[in-house]
Amino acid sequence: MRRMIFAFATSILLVSTPAAFAQTVGFAEAIKILSASCGADINKYCKSATLANNGIGQCLDQNQAKVSQKCNADRAVVATLIQERLAAQAAAPKICQRDAAQRCKGVKPGAGHILRCLLKAQRSVSKKCNTAIDLAGYR
Amino acid sequence: MKKYLFAGLSAAVLAVCVSGASAQTQLNRNEIINSLQGAQQKVDVSADELQKAAFENIQKYPGANSPGNLPLWDKLASLRQFNVEITFDINSARIRPESYETIGLIADALHTPYLQGQTFFVVGHTSADGPRDFNLELSIKRAKSVRDALVTTFRVPGEYLEAVGLGEEQLRDPSKPDAQINRRVQLINVGYR
Repeated sequence: MRRMIFAFATSILLVSTPAAFAQTVGFAEAIKILSASCGADINKYCKSATLANNGIGQCLDQNQAKVSQKCNADRAVVATLIQERLAAQAAAPKICQRDAAQRCKGVKPGAGHILRCLLKAQRSVSKKCNTAIDLAGYR
Repeated sequence: MKKYLFAGLSAAVLAVCVSGASAQTQLNRNEIINSLQGAQQKVDVSADELQKAAFENIQKYPGANSPGNLPLWDKLASLRQFNVEITFDINSARIRPESYETIGLIADALHTPYLQGQTFFVVGHTSADGPRDFNLELSIKRAKSVRDALVTTFRVPGEYLEAVGLGEEQLRDPSKPDAQINRRVQLINVGYR
């Protein structure tokens, strides 16, 4: 799992995300965090690595002993948060099934129509479903 | 320049984030979604056919510049699409770090229900600066590189992404063939396949 992204959490993430709120991150956010935590290490050890074949992640893995502690630690945290986001995205349709049936009658499934309906109906949607949407990063 | 993104920007700088020095336009995920969503018609152009058309264009109309639109282009021009600037090392398919976040945003957009299940062409274009066949080959490598980044690091299902390079065969602004605006990666929604 750790190889999945050359990823990273930093103080930004820990400070700016209220503990009670959805704790997952998307890929763009992960990159932003990475650039802060692992930037210096990537410059030092992975100058010619590419993003295309997961090269940066592999390079940081190979140099784990030399890479800064913060980079290693944050990569593990962000890898988990990304994994949780992907899992939340996979789980959301089922968790929101009942809400969709109640609030989005007649809405054609597919192409995000149900999600759009649930977002509009946020106030009358169940807490469980709203949380699932938050965790999936769909808001 | 290479050091730009990874040069140990502080958390404070990142939190403020929008600085005048930023080389990239401030993109956001919803902008990408809005441009790409809503695939309507069926498209009967395959990535292979489009790729072949670019090679044939050079053979058929040799010379410094392409004479105009590729024959298949009319079928694609009206589709939902998005142009983005991604920077690479010179004459190389290595994506530069300052573009990582842009590719992350594209991935985040592709991971939403609005776009899931639809197929996208990832089309690389160059300006007319340099030989046409060289530009064509380079754009193919770069398009593949962006696709690979999306599929590996950013975990977008590979069956929905097809890389095509068009070199300088389909300029965005034919009146300024060497201009920067022609260098772009274009995502085209070719619908449910």
